[in-house]
Amino acid sequence: MQRIRNLILTIIAVVLFAFFLDKAPELLNGYWQRILNLIAINAILALSLNLIYGITGMFSLGHAGFMAIGAYVSALLVLSPAQKNAMWILEDIYPWLLNVNAPFIASIIIAGIVAAFFGLIVALPVLRLGGDYLGIATLGFAEIIRILITNTARLTNGSLGLKGIPAYTTLFMSWGCLGVVLLCMVCMLRSNFGGVLRAVRDDEVAAKMMGINTFKVKVIAFTLGCFGGGLGGALMGNLITTIDPRMFMITQTYNILMIIVVGGLGSVTGSIIGSVLVTTMLEWLRFVENPITIGSINIPGIPGMRMVIFSLLLIIVIIFRREGIMGMREFSWDIFFPKAKPKPKHEKSNHESVLEVEDIVLRFGGLSAIDGLNFNIRHGQIVGLIGPNGAGKTSAFNVISGFYKPTSGTIKFLGKSIGGLSPDEVCKAGMSRTFQNIRLFGHETVLQNVMTGARIRQKYSWWMSLMPFVFTDVLREDSAVKAQAMNLLEQLGLSEFAEEKASSLPYGAQRRLEIARALATRPKLLLLDEPAAGMNPQESDELMKFIRRLRDEFDLTILLIEHDMKVVMNVCDYIQVLDQGIHIAHGTPEEIKANPRVIEAYLGHENTDKETDQIIERHYAKKEGQK
Amino acid sequence: MNLNIFVQHFINALSLGSLYGLVAVGYTMVYGILRLINFAHGDIFMLGAYFVYFATIVYKLPWAVGVVIAIIGTTICGLLVDRIAYKPLREAPRISALISAIGVSFFIENFAVVVFTGMPRPVVQPPILMQPIVLPGDVRLIPLGILVPIVAFVLVGCLLWLLYRTKPGLAMRAISFDIETTRMMGVSVNRIIALAFGLGSALAAVAGILWALRYPRVEPFMGMTPGIKAFIAAVFGGIGSVPGAMIGGLILGFVEIMSVAFFPTLSGYKDAFAFCLLILILLFRPTGLLGERLEDKI
Repeated sequence: MQRIRNLILTIIAVVLFAFFLDKAPELLNGYWQRILNLIAINAILALSLNLIYGITGMFSLGHAGFMAIGAYVSALLVLSPAQKNAMWILEDIYPWLLNVNAPFIASIIIAGIVAAFFGLIVALPVLRLGGDYLGIATLGFAEIIRILITNTARLTNGSLGLKGIPAYTTLFMSWGCLGVVLLCMVCMLRSNFGGVLRAVRDDEVAAKMMGINTFKVKVIAFTLGCFGGGLGGALMGNLITTIDPRMFMITQTYNILMIIVVGGLGSVTGSIIGSVLVTTMLEWLRFVENPITIGSINIPGIPGMRMVIFSLLLIIVIIFRREGIMGMREFSWDIFFPKAKPKPKHEKSNHESVLEVEDIVLRFGGLSAIDGLNFNIRHGQIVGLIGPNGAGKTSAFNVISGFYKPTSGTIKFLGKSIGGLSPDEVCKAGMSRTFQNIRLFGHETVLQNVMTGARIRQKYSWWMSLMPFVFTDVLREDSAVKAQAMNLLEQLGLSEFAEEKASSLPYGAQRRLEIARALATRPKLLLLDEPAAGMNPQESDELMKFIRRLRDEFDLTILLIEHDMKVVMNVCDYIQVLDQGIHIAHGTPEEIKANPRVIEAYLGHENTDKETDQIIERHYAKKEGQK
Repeated sequence: MNLNIFVQHFINALSLGSLYGLVAVGYTMVYGILRLINFAHGDIFMLGAYFVYFATIVYKLPWAVGVVIAIIGTTICGLLVDRIAYKPLREAPRISALISAIGVSFFIENFAVVVFTGMPRPVVQPPILMQPIVLPGDVRLIPLGILVPIVAFVLVGCLLWLLYRTKPGLAMRAISFDIETTRMMGVSVNRIIALAFGLGSALAAVAGILWALRYPRVEPFMGMTPGIKAFIAAVFGGIGSVPGAMIGGLILGFVEIMSVAFFPTLSGYKDAFAFCLLILILLFRPTGLLGERLEDKI
């Protein structure tokens, strides 16, 4: 009902706007028509950069380079052979290029594809970098593009640029392109794949543990963003009819960055609002650079003043309202209507030995974090991994879940070796984990956090999410996953928080949410890293019941790290003890309680100190012997 | 290529490289402490050149006085940038400060266009720096070409002494490890950060002055390309490391001058070398030559 209402409202708005565009040539003068065109083009550019940076979290400063590629590709395709012959003065144009021609619509799509292709080539090496380095490398790439364009005169006419490009970019063309880009992007961002993009931005490590190949996701987002950059560049070239390499300097990227910062990083609505504001203002500010005559007084224009004001505004926005106008929120028709809350069901696996860890050794340089860890977990067991601080427990988790590669040793999960697999592959094999320092996708809703966990079970590919009305699988699978996620939340007592931001939950609920998210991947084995950390005795009592319930309801096997001995002794069927990377004991809770080495490892009693020293000595002596 | 021409190229590369190095040191100190790419640093460098231009050529002050004024003026500008545009954002996500830095860079460049006009202005070089010294083998040396690396090395030497032999230097190194803990040790963190900005700006001012003498002109956008290249030099040498920045600068200087010297057809691509070098080092040794590895804790 609500969806149909919103759809009708959207259609009405689009029709009204199309009507306005149709009448625009009569209503508006050339100046305002040009601004309207620029708004649409800037919005396309802003949306595409926002996809890369605001939504997926990759700081890219290379957009001007992709615009340049798009603008040149399109211009070379739409210019007639006669025009090309007349323009290449210094050097001859390549003969094959002279007669290459394409209709405008085809040319802008090819422009986008070529830019996306370059984007892909850049992404493969460069996206392995993070943060600021990525920014500088992409900025460098944009500069290289510009230098290449200047120096390959036979292809691009060098620094002279291209003139007389047919002005094909009409209002319908630019706004039509924006409409398509907007539609695809909104659909994608609303699908679970969009949630995955935001999850990669919020916490890449946790996203990997949800079975997501984060590198692939980043490459996809970057390449799509570059497509937008090329498309925007092509439209721009066909609007202002002249292009040259100096047009695509870093300043161009800054302008787009300004738009998405003003609008709100990560918000599609924000990018649109930002384009309207920034474009209009940049054009309007031209007056400060033009001489003004008021009566008999002549005020000379001040060159450069426009950019001074513009940059001051950027600084002011970032200091006083750094989330921009929209923050990460989006426009929705629902804001005009009172809220109606929807209400939302679950299912059950078997293998004898779930996890077999054999002789795991993990060294960092000369330091042994783990030195020979052996254990088995059988189906349905709850096993505790304990030991004093620095014993190597979390390192063991990181090895088992694929974040660290063991120096030697084998790990078998459900009978298959998983040593050397990456975290996302381990997750796909049926293992999930939580983290000691809670790693949620903080900006996302509770529901979306859980849905991200379910992405690995969905069959649709990322590109289908661009056109969900064609590939209805997207809608069907997403709604199935949503229902399952709601169900999970209900079971874990989190359904009241479903639409709230994950980072706003109280601590205990965040811990449960992390478990819910891990369960959404439908694991066979769940690793819990200090689930009781920071809980009071009453909360940890509840946690114990909760962990047993989890095992029974979800048919799980659980391995947990815990410092709270009460929790460990009560909930675990079996316990493994590590101290200084060495596996010092294992047994049932009763056996462990009575084990002097364990007591000593925790309390460091003098009379048992020697005993442990002997164990450690014997351990290393044995190793020496083996060598 | 005869000896004379080779020596000319060598001196050129050495002085260009040490100028990159001087600017890179400013980037590396600020990045080491705040993890912030101070995009405005190249423009601070430009201000240094303008200060000395106005002091000596417009107001006809002696060079020594002009240089002192330029260094002081530029340092004040650097401190103001930190105070106004970065300090309010210390607790904000790093990206906010980065965007603020881009805004400041933009602002300074265009402000310079408004105040000084966009026209390049020629700098009159003091004749004493331009009188060639003739060495055996018909090798001619311009004193300026030798002065530049000497000044750069002496200044970086002083900076290293300050960083490794004095209390403020110790504080600065401590902040780059852990800003919160350093604060708890009773160090006035903001003052030390200001010191880093001040020192970086002073070095950038010297580089700007020498740059203006070497390519005898000043213009509002002169800091843009050298600024980005110097940052690349800092990354190349290992961001956060002062000797690394100097080494990175020198390598970049030599690559740029020598490749064009030996392969003149590549001169059009000169500005692309730095970026290619950057992408290569980031791929094969992301921490740069002397940088330390930072790991994400899981």
